[in-house]
Amino acid sequence: MEDRSTTGSWRNKLGFWKWAIASVLFRLILTYFSKNLNLSSRPEVSTPLTSLRRLAEGYWLKQLSMSPYSGSMYHGSPLLLSILGPLTVKKIGGLSSELLCSLVSVVADFISAILIRATGTSLVRSHLHNWKALGLDKLFKGDEAVPSGDVAALVYLWNPFTIVSCIGFNTSAIENMFVVMSLYGASAGLVPLAAFGWVVSSHLSLYPIVLVIPVVFLLGYGLDAPPRKLFAQSNLKGGEKRSADHAELKSLNDKFSKTNFSWWRVVIFFFWAFVWTSYVLIMCAISMKEYGGLGEMFKRTYGFILAIEDLSPNIGVLWYFFAEVFDFFRNFFLIVFHVNILFMILPLAIRLNHRPCFLAFLYLAVSSMLKSYPSVGDSALYLSLLVLFVNELEEMQFTFFLFCGYVGISLLSPVMHNLWIWRGTGNANFYFATAIGYACFQIILVVESVSAMLNHDRKIRKLCNKV
Amino acid sequence: MAEVAAVVKPKPRPIIRIGLFLISHSLLVSIICCVAGVLTLLLLPVLAKNTYISENALMPGSASPMLSSADASDGHIFLNKIMSIDSISTNTGIEIPEMIGKHIIESGGEVNYHQIQPISDNFHPLQFFLGPDVGIVRENYSCTSYGINTVGIVRAPRGDGKEAIVIVTPYNSVKTTTSEALSLGVAYSVFSLLSRVSWLAKDIIWLAADSRHGEHAAVAAWLRDYYALSRGDLEKNQDMCGASSVLGHELTSVKRNGVSNGFRRAGTMAAALVIKVAERSTGFEKDGLKIYAEASNGQMPNLDLINIVNYLAVHGQGLQVRVEKIWSLLDSWWLYSLGELQELLGKVAKSLNPDWKIGIPASDYVEGCATLASSLYNQALGVPTGPHGAFRDFQVDSITLEFSPRFSSSQRVLFLLHAGRLVEGVIRSVNNLLEKFHQSFFLYLMTSPNRFVSVGIYMIAFALLIAPLPLVAAALFSDASKSKSGKDDVSLEPSHPGESIPTFTAWNWLHTAKTVLIVHLWGAIVTIIPYFLCQFPNSSPLTSLLMWTVSSLVGLFFTCAASGSLSIPRASQLQIREWTLLKAVTVAAAFIGLCLMSVINYATAQIGALLLVPMCLMAVPLRIDVSAKTMKALLHGACNILLVFAGFPPTAFLLLRGALDSFDRVRLDDFWNWTESLRAWNSATYIYICMVHLPCWVLCIRILLHRR
Repeated sequence: MEDRSTTGSWRNKLGFWKWAIASVLFRLILTYFSKNLNLSSRPEVSTPLTSLRRLAEGYWLKQLSMSPYSGSMYHGSPLLLSILGPLTVKKIGGLSSELLCSLVSVVADFISAILIRATGTSLVRSHLHNWKALGLDKLFKGDEAVPSGDVAALVYLWNPFTIVSCIGFNTSAIENMFVVMSLYGASAGLVPLAAFGWVVSSHLSLYPIVLVIPVVFLLGYGLDAPPRKLFAQSNLKGGEKRSADHAELKSLNDKFSKTNFSWWRVVIFFFWAFVWTSYVLIMCAISMKEYGGLGEMFKRTYGFILAIEDLSPNIGVLWYFFAEVFDFFRNFFLIVFHVNILFMILPLAIRLNHRPCFLAFLYLAVSSMLKSYPSVGDSALYLSLLVLFVNELEEMQFTFFLFCGYVGISLLSPVMHNLWIWRGTGNANFYFATAIGYACFQIILVVESVSAMLNHDRKIRKLCNKV
Repeated sequence: MAEVAAVVKPKPRPIIRIGLFLISHSLLVSIICCVAGVLTLLLLPVLAKNTYISENALMPGSASPMLSSADASDGHIFLNKIMSIDSISTNTGIEIPEMIGKHIIESGGEVNYHQIQPISDNFHPLQFFLGPDVGIVRENYSCTSYGINTVGIVRAPRGDGKEAIVIVTPYNSVKTTTSEALSLGVAYSVFSLLSRVSWLAKDIIWLAADSRHGEHAAVAAWLRDYYALSRGDLEKNQDMCGASSVLGHELTSVKRNGVSNGFRRAGTMAAALVIKVAERSTGFEKDGLKIYAEASNGQMPNLDLINIVNYLAVHGQGLQVRVEKIWSLLDSWWLYSLGELQELLGKVAKSLNPDWKIGIPASDYVEGCATLASSLYNQALGVPTGPHGAFRDFQVDSITLEFSPRFSSSQRVLFLLHAGRLVEGVIRSVNNLLEKFHQSFFLYLMTSPNRFVSVGIYMIAFALLIAPLPLVAAALFSDASKSKSGKDDVSLEPSHPGESIPTFTAWNWLHTAKTVLIVHLWGAIVTIIPYFLCQFPNSSPLTSLLMWTVSSLVGLFFTCAASGSLSIPRASQLQIREWTLLKAVTVAAAFIGLCLMSVINYATAQIGALLLVPMCLMAVPLRIDVSAKTMKALLHGACNILLVFAGFPPTAFLLLRGALDSFDRVRLDDFWNWTESLRAWNSATYIYICMVHLPCWVLCIRILLHRR
């Protein structure tokens, strides 16, 4: 990954558009065979929340003037029902109805990739900019940063997890798109877009609600940068050395002021968030008017997520635990497990407030590990966000080990499921063992990436002190 | 950078220190582990335990058998009738089903006929990941030739009709042999008894399977229709085949007696027994019984089922029970001397402490080894050893009982009595079950009919064998990174402290990972090539094999060329020790592949590991060996070449076959026929060979030929 070429030549070598279009074509080919692959019934791919087959069921119930939530089949948003519902019954020619929905997923994946690429481009720009501001740019020979946006977008498009969840007839591609949209909006300074993405993704799958912290940091402080006090130090030094150069001093002062938190944009963000929330809620209320209103919706969607009612096996660890736990402890452990996610939020936010995008990656990884109905689509998202920081994480440890672990687990888990469900020679523990292994690998990934990032910051501080 | 690392790096935690220790001594550890793994494998017959009946509800032999000699002689009359039908020259294959149907109705059962057709083989390589295709419904019916399964059902007087026990007797309706007629006779005598008894709590299904298109195909077709929602009506097929069907005409006589042609079902199957009679009698004094248990992909029925059969056969009917063994191993001198060695060690241990009872007699050891080897081989093939394999695909425990009578024809009634009582006893035991078989083992290897090695023990051998792989991968990987950072330190002059900032040491494996991934993708292409070659039906095995090889080579060339365009930019300095990284990634890939295979089919993984592990661990570029010019290095290089030669799947197969049989009869096209049969049976072994073993072999060759 290391070469002494410029970002431009990197970009040429990568051939982003060639590979992006190839990935879309690949998806379309696989979509055609999706019936044979039968991925929509895999527990790894579609969860009770994201399965489009359940959505079709909900749509059918709604057509019969029944509540879409009756019978505990559908647990998604009523808005998705109105948008995607008609697609699940419509057929083009002799082709199956799944094709149209898969097309929506393909489009959503492509948009996400483009947004990731744009985010990455601005991240690289700010990375180079910051190094220049700290006076470290002379240590480079040319600007040799990897265009992490292109790489991350390609990783997102060609990640087997993304491909599988794209043709697996579920909504996780759409949910991921809104998450990426809010991150892109925040990093590009498009406050309404950021608010829209955040509100809709939180509405669809609840967990992205924690992204409010990185989004606020992004809007307040700007993109990822080395710790702010380094800028202050280098300003002082630079000021002493080159006090004669008036123009430069001014520009440095500008930079110094940039490290302040801009409350105004955050206020605007919350204003827009309020607007979009009320908009979404009103729309939901309209579509749920005859079926119990918003209360019913909250109970059947967020209640379903938080109370972990569906204990069918998935790649998470909660289903097994709550299948085993005694009923009178259930509420206690529900609180414990959900608070687990919340516990991590504050320390991480304090420690990494200068790197909001990385913080967003961490929150997504942590929540995809501890959420009640995880699928491989969640991993696909955070893995490609990880690649956005490839310049910073160049000295991350155990990458090969993690890679082998992810490959091994993703092959082993379906086989264990087969052994348990179809052959009957294994049991639930076999499958759950792979789920635990998967969780462990995710933990190692999070821990190692955080420590690599902190080491990177330490290294910058050392270099700054030397210069 | 070195200073930074020195300052920042805290003392590693104990578990990491243990890991580092193992990694730094990886050579020693891997030699010890491999030797220990092979030794454990050879010791498995010693470690085998006696079987015991784990499920208390079974209670085999607690009731005295009810099958009387009158039933047996009924069976004999039935047998004679079948033989007389068979001797009629105008046998169209309908008379026997009709006769069986008539007898079933007379004894008070229900009958229906099930039509089967030969099905073309289809290959489902993804079944281990996606689960079986339950919804297969064959759409095109041809009316050329079909077999007719006769299904008789006794409804249980004490049951709720939710569970059933199946007896299967395969026979060829066009040309029935005496032994097939005997098996039908056994089944009939048991069936007619069971239709009268009052203790039955599970329905009894007797499937007289028409083995015209193969025993397994007939049983599998019936099972598929049994588990499909709405299929298998004879009438529907008859309509499709036109009213001129001979069958429709002939069967009307039976139909008048109140037989409906609708597909009849009983409950879910608790167990299935396939009854066969061997053509040749054994040379033993007693009647023999051979148990076949291996189903597709090394799946075994619950051990309890084998236990009750063995218990009843030995203690109830005095039969000589055997399981398959590889005969050529029985008189191998090295196995015998190994057996004597362990016997000696056992004696020494006993003299030290009388409580230590390790070691078995040498002859037992050799016999156990031969049985174990056969058990391993049959499981590794992944091809069922009889029609019982079809049941295992639907999670029904089933075995084939092959009786080998020592009779002259006058003692047939006696034989029918013994065999019938055994079958009755087993059914009575299974009838007691409250749940499906779950108590005993599903994963085991047999070393004799009453000794077995459970998964907990045989996994040790495999785990020891593959334990060095991750260690060596980690050691090589850290080696590569170290040599890289060492080079940095040299170039790191005090004047440019920041030279080494963007080193990406952590990501330098990406390029080699790409190579390995592409070779494995090529393996997938190799897997599907024979599917296209089968479209030319008239080619001889040898030409097919040649075409397969040539197209695989062309495929390898093209994938490598195509991968050249997808270049992940990499560091120039890394090329120096690139083979280390390549070996690390190859070893990791082999480890993942073997682990995966051990879950799908343990036996394949075990045999594969014996070939793959030494090959992957030894691989070092030949140039290094040659340039070293020491005796040790040259020996190492020769070893490498030998391992790679033996590791190539065709040579490994032919060598093994030659060693077990004789080298005179080994021909090259055997390999094609062998892989073809694996493919036709959807064996995981075939996929393992093409997608794990072959790519790793190619990568090892690449390491050997690596230019420094």
